Amino acid sequence: MTPEPDALRSLRSSSRGHRDEETKSNEEPSREEKSKTHDEPPPGHLPGELLMWVLILSEIAVFGAGLLAFLAVRLSDPTGFAEAQTHLHRTGAAANTLVLVTSGWLAALASQAAEAGQVRRLRLLLSPAVLLGAVFLALKATEYADLFAQGIGTETHAFYTFSFLLTGFHAAHVLAGMVLLALVGWLATPKAVETGAAFWHMVDLVWVLLFPVVYLL
Amino acid sequence: MTAVTKAWGWLLALSAASTGLAASGLTGSGLALPVLVLSGLKAHVILRNYLRLATAPGWLRGFDLGLSLLILSFAALTLAA
Repeated sequence: MTPEPDALRSLRSSSRGHRDEETKSNEEPSREEKSKTHDEPPPGHLPGELLMWVLILSEIAVFGAGLLAFLAVRLSDPTGFAEAQTHLHRTGAAANTLVLVTSGWLAALASQAAEAGQVRRLRLLLSPAVLLGAVFLALKATEYADLFAQGIGTETHAFYTFSFLLTGFHAAHVLAGMVLLALVGWLATPKAVETGAAFWHMVDLVWVLLFPVVYLL
Repeated sequence: MTAVTKAWGWLLALSAASTGLAASGLTGSGLALPVLVLSGLKAHVILRNYLRLATAPGWLRGFDLGLSLLILSFAALTLAA
């Protein structure tokens, strides 16, 4: 048998290396690799679901337009708007800000737990996050009940038309978010939990824009 | 302490500052401008740490720019009243 030429040996070695790489690439990625892929989107890319970002942008646009309309109408009757604002529960609304940012924190921690495969922990974190959503709605319901008891409704003044519309629409999102968090807690997959948490953070984001405009300014 | 927990601490502090300003008796632009700035900062923290836009600085700058324009419009309409 003649000795194998160097070029042929080199080609065989290269081909074997290529086959090895192919085999590696066809293998199921390890749990750590999967987690890293989910944790860190490619630099500069939006994390999570693109459709959720479209929804977040849409909600900011809708609430932003509503708040701009509220402030524009206020120009026609600043005194009436200021008087009407005194009937709202400012303290309850300020407490609700703390409730929502704390709930958002728990949801963000739950998302991290989901990525680490800690199903029990993510459920333990999502449960109080949902309960805090219920606290938010209870405080909001108390405010509405008090306004109704004073004979105030959506038709009483333009201020209340806008404030009921904006805060009511936001409260509907809180309710939807609570259902979504409960659902993703049951599914307990990293992608589902991240998407549910992103919706919840959007609700949080809208509230930090809405609160000062409707309750403080 | 994780970045998310630090962000929560910042959000509590910024919310307390807003409440303190509102309770201080300030009115008009003296109240509106700082409260709106605090609101913008809270939105930035939520986007950066809760929604993880820290991993996408370009997108974070875009959101910050859009929200800044929105908050500037709020301020202009408030001061015009």
